[in-house]
Amino acid sequence: MSRWERWAWGLATVPAVGVLVAAFGLPLLQSVGASFVREGRFTWENYAIVYRLYRQDVLYTLGVAAGGVALTFGCGIPLAGYLRLRAWPWVEFLLKVPLFVPFVVTGHAMRVFLQPSGTLAAMLTAAGILPPGARLGIGEGWLGLVLALTWKHLALVVLLLVGAFRGVDDSYLEAAQGFGAGTFRQIWAVLVPMSATSVALALVLTLTSMLASFSIPLLMSRGSGPQMLMIDLYYRFGQHGDFEVASALGVVSYVMASGAVYAYLRSVTR
Amino acid sequence: MTRSLLGLAFRATVGTLVLVAILGPLTSLLIWSLAERWHWPAPFPQQLGLKYWLRMLQGDPLRALTRGVGIASVTTVLALLMSVPVSYLAARRRLPAGPLVLALFVLPQAFPQLPVFASATVLFYRWNLAGTIPGVVLIHLVGGLVYAVWTLTAAFRAVGPELEEAAVNLGASATRTFFRIALPLALPGVAASAILVFLHSLDEFNGTLLVGAPYVTTLPVYMYTASLGYELQIASVTALILMAPGVVLLLLLERFLRAEYLAFFGHL
Amino acid sequence: MEVRVEGLVKRFGRVPALAGVSHTFPAGALTAVVGPSGCGKTTLLRVLAGFVRPDEGRVWMDGRDVTDLPPQARSCALVFQNYALWPHMTVFENVAFGLRLRRLPTREVEQRVREALALVELDRVPGIEGRRPRELSGGQQQRVALARAIAVRPRLLLLDEPLSNLDAKVRHRVRVEIRALQRRTGITTVYVTHDQEEALSIADVLVVMEGGRVVQWGRPEEVYARPKDPFVAEFLGSTNVLEASVGRDGAIQPSRDGRLLFRAEDVVLLPADATPPAGSVWAKGKVVDCLFLGAVYRAYVRVLDVVVMADARSPASPGPVVLAVPADRVMDFSHQNGEGAAKETA
Repeated sequence: MSRWERWAWGLATVPAVGVLVAAFGLPLLQSVGASFVREGRFTWENYAIVYRLYRQDVLYTLGVAAGGVALTFGCGIPLAGYLRLRAWPWVEFLLKVPLFVPFVVTGHAMRVFLQPSGTLAAMLTAAGILPPGARLGIGEGWLGLVLALTWKHLALVVLLLVGAFRGVDDSYLEAAQGFGAGTFRQIWAVLVPMSATSVALALVLTLTSMLASFSIPLLMSRGSGPQMLMIDLYYRFGQHGDFEVASALGVVSYVMASGAVYAYLRSVTR
Repeated sequence: MTRSLLGLAFRATVGTLVLVAILGPLTSLLIWSLAERWHWPAPFPQQLGLKYWLRMLQGDPLRALTRGVGIASVTTVLALLMSVPVSYLAARRRLPAGPLVLALFVLPQAFPQLPVFASATVLFYRWNLAGTIPGVVLIHLVGGLVYAVWTLTAAFRAVGPELEEAAVNLGASATRTFFRIALPLALPGVAASAILVFLHSLDEFNGTLLVGAPYVTTLPVYMYTASLGYELQIASVTALILMAPGVVLLLLLERFLRAEYLAFFGHL
Repeated sequence: MEVRVEGLVKRFGRVPALAGVSHTFPAGALTAVVGPSGCGKTTLLRVLAGFVRPDEGRVWMDGRDVTDLPPQARSCALVFQNYALWPHMTVFENVAFGLRLRRLPTREVEQRVREALALVELDRVPGIEGRRPRELSGGQQQRVALARAIAVRPRLLLLDEPLSNLDAKVRHRVRVEIRALQRRTGITTVYVTHDQEEALSIADVLVVMEGGRVVQWGRPEEVYARPKDPFVAEFLGSTNVLEASVGRDGAIQPSRDGRLLFRAEDVVLLPADATPPAGSVWAKGKVVDCLFLGAVYRAYVRVLDVVVMADARSPASPGPVVLAVPADRVMDFSHQNGEGAAKETA
């Protein structure tokens, strides 16, 4: 490249970088800064408020995310392993569908599906499993949230894991099979450890995404009881206009997402 | 014999579970979108009809839809124009301050969006962008640029540098080489990228809710308001319209979409 | 364990990988299956292992029909071309894998892993049990793969191109060791390779395959000396082919439907004015080039418009020569229609 060409190309990258700095970089820094400020002064007060009002919710968020990750991987690893070992195209296709369903839509769909008088209750009543008029109590609590988050994230996890598992050469599986390893053992003793990096990455991504989930809990939860952290943040910011405490909540969520930040940064520097 | 029977039973059970689990919630949307009258505890609606679908064709929802499509179109064009130089330089490892810039293009994936967008809203108020369409486009560009840069970098990387070196060797300038060789060869990647950015913008909720409020309502925000106000039918119709483009895309392009492109959808 | 296959047919898509293979692998012997790539030898091995189900035909092991049995029920162990050592397990864990699946007591697992490692002479490498495959040399990995296979005391050992990923030097050493190991343990072994030299040197019984069929089998010396058809003759050794026939005085004459084959090591080059020795088949030719191969010199001689190879202990200088081959070393396939052995010229 000639010198002026190098300048022209360098300049052409400015708008994209500028947009990300203005709409992401600066806000990120501002929120970290604001979390230490109250009435123009440095203070830890915002974090004290977070601790006083929201520590239950932090634990609740961690619990829901942990439950969601456990369920997602508890289903995702066997499913992906099975799909790697035996072709089952329509199931693989179905499992991909939620990838294309936006989070908000997932939230609403799970709401009408799981709510006490929702479609699932209706279906179970019609099938005679539930007595007529009975309400199904899973939609509004943590269980409904875990199910909804799993529903949305399972697709990505299966996609990533099947991809990683397909990268394991058949010979490693046949060697195990020849010694008498069944499907289950081929998955656990060969596929998962040989794809450990991908599994770990998928785990970190899922955990972070669930910790920071907003639209699904926003659409599913009713006002009472413990809330997900992002819901607290939204109301703190939107209804109380309390940007500082909202920022402190945000910084707590950044810390919880540090695993993902590390994973992504490593992917760039590699 | 017993082995294959057991296997068959296993597949039947798992298959049914997956079918019900995946399609159950989506079918509920469909039923709700058609339910003109549904009094609990009847297992099925008393009256089905297209009333609520027809209502989408007028007034607020139609405005939200057209506004969303407009915003998504502008976002797509801008994101592509801006990300092509970055991706091309990144693919050829010529990006000034490379790792730093690329880090800027992955971090929005890693950090929780909501606190950052809340903070952006505060900034946008200062810049008179809050509640305006340019503000919403700007916030959609954050995710859009991330998708575009990574898919385009992959596309440019797939164009072998030796093809370009051959052109340079014959005396073409680097810029000319880019427009005559790299860009035409990367066009499928550009198309995939455009689809991703468009869908991202169409479905974006968190940023639009914060930055767009109260004047800019796109379809996801409209759906949220409807669902919150217990207008479940309206919300369900909107939800189906929102997910339709993505699912159609999956049906048509499943075989052609590479896994890494699909993976981006997980973050919509 | 005697292994017998009958009428094996396997198609992948429209292409038949096995087009009716019948053969008996004798108990306790090392059978080498050799052929060009795509001849079906690997498919045959995978049918024996149970990873591929034949479309037609049966497999018997010691008289028992095992065609429908899964791999783990066959008492055979396969050594893969890429070794397929699990990278996340140590050498010990790799070798112990099959034993642990058999739920042997820990003490016995340890003992048998040690025995297996000793059999492949890895017991002398200190601390090898705790290492991971990628920390080993290619030769060591290959030995671990062998140890893993024999640790479960299979009655049939299957080797799929086991040496193709090794350097030439190591390859020769490991080849000798595999042969010794097989002799010592007496495990019935099927060894698949595309390398004819490797197959000839290692086998008790040589099986040559082409186009999904067994074209010839027997003791290696026998197959080498008396190939049944031009394919086998050309495949084994450095073989020259001439479209020619032998005249009354032993002179080679061009002939459209004649086909003479002879190996480079059987050719003698004589001065241009020399009389060919009695009982030899000969022709006038011209040395066009001569390469030093280490053990021998290989001369390229133009005869009847084709170039043939001739090996000698001393270099040949370019120019006219007389090329002579002992008559009993010439394989005449002139009227070959795919049946019967090569007719020896008198």
